Amino acid sequence: MTDEQGTSGAVLVVGGGISGLTAALETAEVGNDVFLVEKGPSFGGRVAQLNQYFPKLCPPSCGLEINFRRVKDNRKIRTYTMTTVKAVKGGPGNYEVTLETEPRYVNSNCTACGDCTAACPDETANDFNFGMNNSKAIYLPHEMAFPQRYVIKKSALSPAGADAIKAACKYDAIDLDMQPEMFTINVASIIWATGWVPYEPTKMENLKFGQSKSIVTNMMIERMAAPSGPTGGKIVRPGDNKAIDSIAFVQCAGSRDENHLEYCSHICCMATFKQMSYVREQYPNAKIYVFYIDLRTPGKYEKFREVRMADANASFIKGKVADIILEADGGVTVVAENALTAEKITQKVDMAVLATGMQPSLGLQDAPAELNLDASGFIISDFDKAMISAGCAKKAADVVTCTQSSTAAALKAIQVSRR
Amino acid sequence: MNVQPDLDFIRSLKEAGGDTLKKCYQCATCSVICPLSKDGKPFPRKEMIWAQWGMRDKLVTDPDVFLCHHCGDCTTHCPRGAKPGDVLSSIRAYAYTFYGWPKPLAKLASSAKGLPILIGLPVVVIFIMWLLSGAMRFPTSEEFSQYGYQRFFGTWDFYWYAKNIFFIVLIMVPSLGLALFSSFKGISTMWKTMSEDAGLNKEYRPSVGQFLKDYLWPSLIEIVKHSRFRECTTNTDRVQGHLPLMLAFIGLAIVTTWSLLKNDVLGLIWPSLHGPMAITDPFKILANISAIALLFGVGVLWANRKKAEAEMNTQATFYDWFLIWEITAVGVTGVAAQLLRWAEMPVTGYIVYFLHLVSVMMLFLYLPYTKFAHLMYRTSAYAFEKYRQSVYATNS
Ligand SMILES: Cc1cc2nc3c(=O)[nH]c(=O)nc-3n(C[C@H](O)[C@H](O)[C@H](O)COP(=O)(O)OP(=O)(O)OC[C@H]3O[C@@H](n4cnc5c(N)ncnc54)[C@H](O)[C@@H]3O)c2cc1C
Ligand code: SF4
Ligand code: SF4
Repeated sequence: MTDEQGTSGAVLVVGGGISGLTAALETAEVGNDVFLVEKGPSFGGRVAQLNQYFPKLCPPSCGLEINFRRVKDNRKIRTYTMTTVKAVKGGPGNYEVTLETEPRYVNSNCTACGDCTAACPDETANDFNFGMNNSKAIYLPHEMAFPQRYVIKKSALSPAGADAIKAACKYDAIDLDMQPEMFTINVASIIWATGWVPYEPTKMENLKFGQSKSIVTNMMIERMAAPSGPTGGKIVRPGDNKAIDSIAFVQCAGSRDENHLEYCSHICCMATFKQMSYVREQYPNAKIYVFYIDLRTPGKYEKFREVRMADANASFIKGKVADIILEADGGVTVVAENALTAEKITQKVDMAVLATGMQPSLGLQDAPAELNLDASGFIISDFDKAMISAGCAKKAADVVTCTQSSTAAALKAIQVSRR
Repeated sequence: MNVQPDLDFIRSLKEAGGDTLKKCYQCATCSVICPLSKDGKPFPRKEMIWAQWGMRDKLVTDPDVFLCHHCGDCTTHCPRGAKPGDVLSSIRAYAYTFYGWPKPLAKLASSAKGLPILIGLPVVVIFIMWLLSGAMRFPTSEEFSQYGYQRFFGTWDFYWYAKNIFFIVLIMVPSLGLALFSSFKGISTMWKTMSEDAGLNKEYRPSVGQFLKDYLWPSLIEIVKHSRFRECTTNTDRVQGHLPLMLAFIGLAIVTTWSLLKNDVLGLIWPSLHGPMAITDPFKILANISAIALLFGVGVLWANRKKAEAEMNTQATFYDWFLIWEITAVGVTGVAAQLLRWAEMPVTGYIVYFLHLVSVMMLFLYLPYTKFAHLMYRTSAYAFEKYRQSVYATNS
């Protein structure tokens, strides 16, 4: 057995979403040292963008905040934001990993008081909200960001803006001369929890995303429904803020499709059921149409479906939307064939939600190490090499399944560190 | 519902290019994408499940199967690679064999295994005719330059009717006659079941005139204009091949009709009309233009098919290639025979002319069983669609 305390038994966790946080905690709580690196400016991953999450429909804070607390309190975990893996050398048991931290331009003096944002004249598209509103060039990634530290999008900051924010910060936290930093660490094993990105909706040309404001994605609905989101929690049509009288959910938008993502994204049916509740809460009489190939509610989620299907104002149509027609009044007409009646359906709605799937992050990024990826970009664990995947980097899954696979990954990582 | 899948049927679809049909998971993308699918009864999603279930009888009497132009838009968008366009094409291939009469001939024409007989049969028939005609020898150079192929089957003194024409008619007319009879038989059966399935007004029977005027003529106009072909997006190049080819066939039909009329009818009155047409004769010009259009058209389709096989993974099938080969053979031997005549090469010329007759006979004889049958069946489906939509048929 090697020395558990030394870095030789350390584990690197790449990706700080719910899976990375879980894997880091499980590993550290057994006693191993953990380096947790996250590409973005704060931890939490995609779950932080959700309004509520099933099965219990609790806000993401209830899962994330407790994990943040546990990470903060655990002295065995070292956290790095805005950091990515540049190179991996060596082998299982003694990997030497080069990491690079991008400049945040805000140092640890930041107390998240927000004076800088108030003073900043420059705005930039808010990526966290999928561009549905703007944020300032200096901003807090989101409400419950961990760490609670501001970040600057330097490309959006004007010289005048730079002067204004520097003047506004009482703690001398702004440092526009920060440079990227490279450093190396030694670890025994690596857990890859790099998660997923929403599949690019413009790739489905027939669904015309981007050509009408009334065509949105399921992740945009999450942000709209969130009280901290761009509309303060109201689900309205982007652009003209029209209240919703009718809404269509377009299932399998890009998933289970050889031309796009060939696998089932596993959660979009459930996400749609969840979002039906968001809509119903705000619009008791709105017509809801769900166009599907099959409704997939893995495991115990079947109950969840039954409740939504009992809604008298909701129709479920078995047939994939294969065309969307833009209407002059700002709405859209979705077109499908109802496979049960063999009739062509054209349904005009105020808003169409594309239930886009989850694409593994590494399907788009270059893998920084020799990883075994499948054709879609999911990482296949290689236990002999101590390269272990967890969460949505491993396969499309809901949070519960992700945390389970992360716990399993932690165990594997620890086993290697003690070989 | 208790479905008894017809496994042989499914097997033949697989052989005819429909091997992907089991991949369909009924998402119905194809029915929405298909530019030819009408709102009322979209296709080809329903055909895909019928095919998976082996519901042969439903498919061979489904007008939509024949209305599909195999443009491939559905195949491009199908999320599963089930290639609905190819599957429909394989169903048509099956249907032509299914309706074909006599059955053994229809079966023979459905696979490459039959090829030796398919070629051998016309070779033997024409060769025997050549023997019977007593003309079985190669001409001298003088004869060749004077008469060309006019005396392939010899000549006789019977002034009113050329021996050569007599033999050609003897070979081709029964071939075409059989083909037309078989097609008529198949189409009648198909039409009857289609009407029953569509629940059309049984009282109503259009008169022949009405049928021609209201249903057939508008269909032909649409077909000649290639209106539906042009609605496709994936495979638009095919219009550039199919249109010249179709016009070529129309041109050649006109020329043939004229020469039959000239030799068999008018020739009886004005014997001087017998003999080869001059190169400046308008009908000869039409014949030559048609020959060029035919070769061009079939060349485009050949290239297109190769491209589809390379890029879209379309299965290379006997059904598709046999017609392309046949037409190419007709065009190449026809043009070559003429060139050889100009080049004054009697022996090769006669051999090529023989092959030309063989390929033409093949085209006629196998018309109802091969892809060429779409000429009849698709046109009927067009007419049926118009009939079905007409007020008379639906007012029950
Ligand atoms: C519309 C929608 C609604 C959903 N709703 C629910 C729900 O209600 N309930 C539920 O259980 N699930 C839901 N899900 C699924 C849920 O979002 C995922 O299960 C969860 O996000 C997976 O977490 P993760 O940590 O594996 O990945 P992520 O959340 O994607 O986290 C991965 C992290 O890794 C970081 N990263 C990526 N690449 C690198 C790199 N190279 N280096 C360093 N860091 C990197 C990313 O920045 C990110 O922070 C929903 C999904 C969708 C699409
Ligand atoms: S979860 Fe539902 S919508 Fe998503 S890919 Fe699977 S079947 Fe399609
Ligand atoms: S053939 Fe393809 S597009 Fe059509 S229903 Fe089947 S899977 Fe869907």
